[in-house]
Amino acid sequence: MSEPSFWSTLAEHWQLARTLRGLQIYFDSQKCTGVWQCHEVCPAGCWTPDQEKRVAIFHHPERCIACRACVLQCPRGAIELK
Amino acid sequence: MATVFMKWLETSPKDYDRGIQLLTLGRLQGVKEEIVRDYVQEGSRVLEIGCGTGALTRMMAEGGGIVTAIDSSPKMLSEAQRRIKADNLEGRVTLEHMDASLIGERFPARSFDLIVFALVLSELSNDEQGYILEACTRLLAPEGHLLLVDEVIPSNWLARLIFYLVRLPLVILTWLLTRTSTSALQDVDGLLTGAGFHARRVAAYLGGSLVFYEAHLPVEGREMVIPSEGAGEGLHTCCPPSAVRSVRGVPPTPVELAPGVIGRLCHRVTLRTLLIDLWALFFRILPPYPKVRPGLYAIGRPTPVSPVLVTGNFDLTVRRLVRAIDKKVDAWVLVADSAGINVWCGAGGGYFTAEKVIAALMSSGLGEVVDHHTLILPQLCANGVSGQRVREETGWNVRWGPVRAADIPAYLAANGKKTEDMRLVHFPLKDRLEMATVVLGFYGLLILIPVLIFWRHMFWPVCASLVGLSYFYSIFHLHLPGRDGLMKSLPLSLIALAGLFTYSALWHPLPTPRLFSWSIGLIGLSVFTGGEMQGMSPLMRGEQANWGWEVVIGAALGLLYWLIPIVLGWR
Repeated sequence: MSEPSFWSTLAEHWQLARTLRGLQIYFDSQKCTGVWQCHEVCPAGCWTPDQEKRVAIFHHPERCIACRACVLQCPRGAIELK
Repeated sequence: MATVFMKWLETSPKDYDRGIQLLTLGRLQGVKEEIVRDYVQEGSRVLEIGCGTGALTRMMAEGGGIVTAIDSSPKMLSEAQRRIKADNLEGRVTLEHMDASLIGERFPARSFDLIVFALVLSELSNDEQGYILEACTRLLAPEGHLLLVDEVIPSNWLARLIFYLVRLPLVILTWLLTRTSTSALQDVDGLLTGAGFHARRVAAYLGGSLVFYEAHLPVEGREMVIPSEGAGEGLHTCCPPSAVRSVRGVPPTPVELAPGVIGRLCHRVTLRTLLIDLWALFFRILPPYPKVRPGLYAIGRPTPVSPVLVTGNFDLTVRRLVRAIDKKVDAWVLVADSAGINVWCGAGGGYFTAEKVIAALMSSGLGEVVDHHTLILPQLCANGVSGQRVREETGWNVRWGPVRAADIPAYLAANGKKTEDMRLVHFPLKDRLEMATVVLGFYGLLILIPVLIFWRHMFWPVCASLVGLSYFYSIFHLHLPGRDGLMKSLPLSLIALAGLFTYSALWHPLPTPRLFSWSIGLIGLSVFTGGEMQGMSPLMRGEQANWGWEVVIGAALGLLYWLIPIVLGWR
């Protein structure tokens, strides 16, 4: 295994930083069964439970701090962050 | 603290390898070769606990072993998987994502000829060490060996002094470079014999701080080893509650407590806690982090139906939890090993995971202390602790508690109903000032030490500007325009410049060249403050890209500082 050069490490780091900046939530409401773990764990208040339709709504995307809590806790894998 | 710090805390498998190499000064490789040469034979059934990136795993498989390797980090495992595939060893190696505390339940009795721990046991809490070694007595075949390679703190005081003198800078350097750290064991002999092994030290390296032990089951015991029934038995042989000394800073009161409970936590302010608080106020992000021994504690006078609150083992985290709920509720507190990092950052950086919670749950014997099967986890660890995994692996139910410990009494009183406000992270003035101090403590040193060395006459002005800008920003940044910290540094620079020109106009007229130098300096510091403070705010995304822009802007300012005076003929 060859050691990566300083510059390639730096470039990798920069790329990662750019990715972080542009991270967005992708929510597949078809998969959602309304257990609302996302709402339960979101520290920024992005999610709202829709009591009637038994689904979650990604209500406030602008508040998202990309912490990944909802992605990890959704039992249906309906949420992605990329 | 938001994602930037978490990302920074994250150890990549590549970094991990380099870190371990650095910390053991390269000696580990020789020990690994010795293990393969002396203990692995064709067809040996090997269990490797904590395989990391699988360096030893592959060596043992190449040496003829049929290796089962477990690790609690999915990232390390996928790297190990990749390398095993590249070496065509897939037929000889089984990788499993599992916490070590579950081995007793997952593998049949006497199913391994060799169990290997390389730099693993010291990473675990005392409860876990005893629990896992005890499980190993059942997993090991009658003629089998348990091998233990780990760092130890020397018992001789002189050796110990040298150990700390060499180790401390090495630990800090390694951690800064690779975010990898290891811990050291105290009494390997006692640990192994306590679990029922006969132990022998094979070799010691690096002045006795890296040791290699071989252990086997006593001959008369070999026939008596009972298969896996009652995994909880023998749990505390390694550290009976009576032998437990006070937990540093939070001494347990000697009241009758169920076996397995480490002690009772009370809110107390002592000189030690004050000193830790003072250190944490400035240098919180530098290791070694003050830690609490993981395990089960009582708050107040809990009963078998009292709630179980899970938290991380950062000293400040545990003390703040205790301060918030002591004398208000009776509860059990299960401290899981979060590597001494707060729960949010620990979870974000991959240190506080479902595996750590499972390990604490299994090894503490909580199941025998309470009647129910519900854990209350801090909501902020949801970004790293998978509730589903805890449920599936242990059958315990997981509930997400409030964000702030102060809300716990109300949350419990309402039978686990959270209000909207309990879910949300705030960043009140007190926290903003605290975080500004934390940032100043670390980055302040980074800037001020070079200034002190190279531009001594500028030290006090720079110091005052940095402190002023940091606190001004931390107080008012919510009201400054701009999407992120870097954009907010623009209005911050304008305000700083307005202050400078007002000062010059009203009180102390400065000549133009000096006014110019000051402006450049203030803009630079503003950009640095805005960019770096952002990572400390829980309300903004961490922006790793900031440092890049800071360097670019810094270089541009430097160029201006050099060019303009030449162009205008001031020099």
